[in-house]
Amino acid sequence: MRFNLPLPHPEKNEKIIILIRRHWFIILVKILFWALAALMPLLFFFLAQDLFAAIFTNETMYPIFVLFVSIYYLYMWLFTFTSFVDYYLDVWIVTNKKIINIEQKGLFRREVSEQKLFRIQDVTSELKGFFSTVINYGTVYVQTAGTEQRFVFKQVARPQRVAGIIVKIVEQEKNYQKLLEKSDQIKTK
Amino acid sequence: MSLPLSFFYYIYLIFVAVFLFYTFSNVYHLIRFGGKTLSVLVVSSFYIVVSIVMLGIAWRYIGQINWQQSLEIIPAFKL
Repeated sequence: MRFNLPLPHPEKNEKIIILIRRHWFIILVKILFWALAALMPLLFFFLAQDLFAAIFTNETMYPIFVLFVSIYYLYMWLFTFTSFVDYYLDVWIVTNKKIINIEQKGLFRREVSEQKLFRIQDVTSELKGFFSTVINYGTVYVQTAGTEQRFVFKQVARPQRVAGIIVKIVEQEKNYQKLLEKSDQIKTK
Repeated sequence: MSLPLSFFYYIYLIFVAVFLFYTFSNVYHLIRFGGKTLSVLVVSSFYIVVSIVMLGIAWRYIGQINWQQSLEIIPAFKL
């Protein structure tokens, strides 16, 4: 599979193996929330038609009402898009060399952290809650050597499968590193 | 005491300016960090087109309003 995402600090022969975003259910819930917020004024309109009729006929209230409705829907649309951008730019990448955690925190803060695969010691997956269990999304914890902070893949789809893939890649990388060390030892002898 | 209706119009323009600023920032971030993929292009284009349509509809209504009017905040009493 080909990924069109540029790696932050690509190494030689580095290839993306898996690219993970949050489960689609997470962005769906956010979009539904903003859609519901956009429908609220319409609901209010049907409930208080007399009030709105008075506003429409009032020469000074009508312009303020038009401005307010315009601002309200523009910002609902903006918040929906911002939610999508936040969802889309939070990415966890596993390459054949390292794992990369990219988190977009607001519009002007972007955190990128990396860890070499051979430094990974433990991978744990967790399903917690009703929707998480039914839809099969959850958290994957990647613990690196020492007391360093662990990587957390939040609300990702099929966390057990993701954890399994990472464990497999880490084992391959560790075996490769051992072979490299042995070959270095042979060369020095 | 009365307040010119255009006062609300200028406040509206500030909100629109903030909207445009965040729109630009969002699209910029999405294209720069999201990769040059078809989905990024489609979503960005859809967002921009809908935004233009929304601003256009608002402009049609706003253009018909007489902004020279004033809004009475505290009604004047005749002695």
